[in-house]
Amino acid sequence: MTTVVALAVGEVGLGVVLQAGDWAFVLRNAEFLLLGAGITVALTLTSVLLGLLAGLPAGIIEVYGSGAVVGAVSRLGVLFRGTPLLVILAFTFFVNPVNVGAFEAATLGLGLRSAAYQSQIFRGAIQSVSEGQMEAARSVGMSQVEAIRHVIVPQALRRSIPGFQNEFTIVLKDTSVAFFIGLAELLTRGFNLFTQTGQSTAILEVVLAVSLVYFVLTVATNQGLDYLGRRFAVPDSGGER
Amino acid sequence: MSLLRFEDVRQSYGAEEVLRGISFEMDRGDVEVVIGPSGSGKSTMLRCVNRLTEVDAGTIYLDGEAITTPDTDVNDLRRRVGMVFQDFNLFAHRTALGNVTLGLEEVLDYPREEARTEAMAQLERVGLADQADSYPAELSGGQKQRVGIARALAMDPELMLFDEPTSALDPELIGDVLAVMRDLAEEGMTMLCVTHEMGFARSAASTVSFLDGGQVVERGPPARLFESPANERTGEFLERLTSLHGGEQ
Repeated sequence: MTTVVALAVGEVGLGVVLQAGDWAFVLRNAEFLLLGAGITVALTLTSVLLGLLAGLPAGIIEVYGSGAVVGAVSRLGVLFRGTPLLVILAFTFFVNPVNVGAFEAATLGLGLRSAAYQSQIFRGAIQSVSEGQMEAARSVGMSQVEAIRHVIVPQALRRSIPGFQNEFTIVLKDTSVAFFIGLAELLTRGFNLFTQTGQSTAILEVVLAVSLVYFVLTVATNQGLDYLGRRFAVPDSGGER
Repeated sequence: MSLLRFEDVRQSYGAEEVLRGISFEMDRGDVEVVIGPSGSGKSTMLRCVNRLTEVDAGTIYLDGEAITTPDTDVNDLRRRVGMVFQDFNLFAHRTALGNVTLGLEEVLDYPREEARTEAMAQLERVGLADQADSYPAELSGGQKQRVGIARALAMDPELMLFDEPTSALDPELIGDVLAVMRDLAEEGMTMLCVTHEMGFARSAASTVSFLDGGQVVERGPPARLFESPANERTGEFLERLTSLHGGEQ
């Protein structure tokens, strides 16, 4: 970091690449960029939420469902995991017969793809809860749905936090592909800055600033989810069956 | 009328027939101990009563009512029949108290405070009121099993099933669990127990059944069955059990 700062003030003779004037340009447009970061954060939250709302039920269905529903859910998962994100966005924005805005189209595409991955995180976590937990819940008279809700899911959610953490940061960084459909998120705004007439020397400075924002957001997200994991942790001997 | 009656119950896992026509009945307040070699069908027999395992043929009656029919309300049946597992199966994410309150709140629709009061009474009954706020991972095996018993008792069952409740315990922890089971028997609880604790069978059982190859080979009062088994296989099994000091892992 200190190197970057040193470079930034041009002390080591790389002034052609990193110019104080270009950093001033970045600073002048900080608000413009931070608004983009706000859109990035909003898009991450809506996409991860959609992914959670669709992915958790999908994971539950893949474990406890039966018949055609399981087949349909798992085939949808394969489809979304097997399609490049840009192609998914082309469908949700350009092909979509309903006229939606770029933010909605990005949420739909990122959210459904995330659901496909989150379903696998939850499926694995649910399967790691021992069969005896379900039997014990059923043996006091709970229905399967009650048992899933009160016994299986609370334990599975705790175990899915590390995987969920990964998925969250992947979605956060992948919001940048909304550039493709013109959404004014962080990267798009950076691009709009350095492509202004006469600002081509500021490309590195702008991209560095943009990547720094992504990095800070990612670290903050990870720490937030770490806190969540600690907050809801229960003593675990590792041997409880 | 008998509280529990098996009528020619048969059950198979694939090609292997685990239960080959089990028939017996027990009255309210009876304590039936089931013994038999590994793989003889003891656990399967128990699990058929609360339909964790489905029978293939024959009928089981609870209080005169067939409970193995397709239109049996399985959740209500399980509410009426408590089960204690060999591996405890305590809900790992809930405290001892939370393990007992869950069924009260979700199945019997107790308001939160009443569920808490009732659950504390059940923990008191098994001598664990002071561990109410401990998580399963913080309890010893014997304590876990007593929470398991309290969890089942809270539903006010008519019949309790015990599936090798002490088999996963260190020897010094078995006594506390057996003491709770003895208390229950004295209070008049109807109990169907798969266990090889001969001392418990001798002092608390009204009847002992010896299961082998999916059939009840011999059945009788503990004193008679242990002292003078009529069947050769029963005698051999009891001898092996005694030579192991009455324990089976």
